[in-house]
Amino acid sequence: MLKLRFHGRGGQGAKVASRITGTAAFLEGCHVQDFPLYGAERRGAPISAFTRISRGTIMERGVIPNPDITIVMDQTLLSDPQAEPLAGLKKNGVVFINTPDSPAQVKDEYNIDAQVVTLDITNIGLDMLGSPIISTLAGAVASRIVGIGEESLKNAVEKELSKIITDQKLIAKNIEAAIYCFRTLELLKIKTIQTTQRQDSVIRMPFEPAKISTPSINTTASSLLKRTGNWRLFKPFWDHDVCTKCMICVTRCPEGCISLNEQGFPVADYEHCKGCMICAEECPKKGIKAVRESGSDSVEVMGT
Amino acid sequence: MSTEPIKSIKDLPLDENLFPGTPACAGCGGLLTLRHCLKMLGDKVVIVNAAGCFTLLSIYPFTPFKSSWLYTAMACAPAGAQGVRDALDILIEKGKLNPGDDLKVLVLTGDGAAYDMGLSSTSGAIYRNLDFYYICYDNEAYGNTGFQQSGATPFASRTKTTPIGKDFPKKDLFEIWNSHKPPYLATISPAYPVDLANKFKKAEQYKGPKLFISLTPCPPGWSTDPSHTFKLAKLAVDTGIWALKESVSGEVKHTFVPGKFKPVEEYLKEQGRFSHLFKPERKEETLGKIQEMVNEYWKQYGVLL
Repeated sequence: MLKLRFHGRGGQGAKVASRITGTAAFLEGCHVQDFPLYGAERRGAPISAFTRISRGTIMERGVIPNPDITIVMDQTLLSDPQAEPLAGLKKNGVVFINTPDSPAQVKDEYNIDAQVVTLDITNIGLDMLGSPIISTLAGAVASRIVGIGEESLKNAVEKELSKIITDQKLIAKNIEAAIYCFRTLELLKIKTIQTTQRQDSVIRMPFEPAKISTPSINTTASSLLKRTGNWRLFKPFWDHDVCTKCMICVTRCPEGCISLNEQGFPVADYEHCKGCMICAEECPKKGIKAVRESGSDSVEVMGT
Repeated sequence: MSTEPIKSIKDLPLDENLFPGTPACAGCGGLLTLRHCLKMLGDKVVIVNAAGCFTLLSIYPFTPFKSSWLYTAMACAPAGAQGVRDALDILIEKGKLNPGDDLKVLVLTGDGAAYDMGLSSTSGAIYRNLDFYYICYDNEAYGNTGFQQSGATPFASRTKTTPIGKDFPKKDLFEIWNSHKPPYLATISPAYPVDLANKFKKAEQYKGPKLFISLTPCPPGWSTDPSHTFKLAKLAVDTGIWALKESVSGEVKHTFVPGKFKPVEEYLKEQGRFSHLFKPERKEETLGKIQEMVNEYWKQYGVLL
């Protein structure tokens, strides 16, 4: 049995990616399971999805703590303490990371002890589909790693997307992009070592006094500790030469992330800016550009 | 706070009472509304939050607020507010709380709670003349659970539970509340923050229920680009779909009337939830009916002939 875990951000399509992989394997004659796990979070927040594929009956249920293959749809998740995408990956397992960096670079940077595959599927999505929704692309990548045939993948994409969208042209474009990703990756050999853990099945919870066990927050604005800046794909970048200090961007930021510097020019709190780009859309002077995020440095400037 | 009306966005208070790091979606129109409302209400507030998207703003151990926050079930936020208000009043009466340190009580709910489940407890609170603020962020569906139809879902909107479009119009919550003749009632929009701010300034002088409904774009639910949130909120007002008005003791007055109404189509065509009206072919009859509903509304007030 192969166990896959997908890590993405709400809205990127991790759930659909796991479904496409599951359906493709089903069309190859396998037994499959696929299901997502959302926390109490929103679009942009980390989510995960799971797929089990087997030639025989699958008796296992529940989330996958020890995957053979992990698909990381957003590089920033690697350093996200809530997501922990590399947790439990089996020895000799495969991790796919959506990044423009090479496998060696990523291995080094994040200290990964597994086979690493990389491809910038966000860029492929933006080029071929015109949007950063990368469900089919991640599904294609996973199918390739698992060793599923091209025809089954194609049919699975068509089958799954027809349930969500009606635009036939968009479905065709998705199939094209999926096949492109599928063919770009080389076939791998997966030989993971099955590890089973025996644990005490009884969970013991300490009984704490109410003062400790009730979730009362005796502080203000602690949300500042949560850095939501890694949710974005594009970040706003101000050209202070054309800025007239009109305050429009400051007023229209839902997060209240834009403040004024000593000279009265707007500056963003990039630790928390989610990149909704209302500021760039609304700037009357078109003085805010959307800069594509790529790991820690910005690579490409998009015209507004 | 001075009673002088605010004239431009440059006069809005710079202090923030809602901080970043929230788990709200990028481009959330409700969050933008709340940010402006809390700027006007200050930080001496107890927020009583009915279950909904904004439940997620305060997840232990994180809060984006400077003030206190109490979580209730969907149907009973106004009842929770009554308890908080009573407790504060008792503390003041017993001399345990300085009247100068009194807190404002604010109910915060989405449209699912406000239009449907929480309507009876809201009606009760208005009827008892509870001294509180009430803000409904109306994204026209149950946004938190995957965008299912609510009492606020407008005619023809697609939701998870109305895949071909809802076939009857939105509840008129403003009129339902207005028939209770509360001291102050208003509709607001995050796209008109000056109008919003002045309504809070005005409401401050009344004791009793002060109610606000805000039409707030929801990028995942409406299937729109997060960067278009502001533009859509503005289009809703400029096309006449969302009327900015207030009511003092039952008497309704519009606070902003567009000089020239834009066609409603401009608002509808931007949104995935109305895309079935344009593709694969234009549904002329439905589009005409929506425009007619908007025209009828304004004719009532003699704005359109």
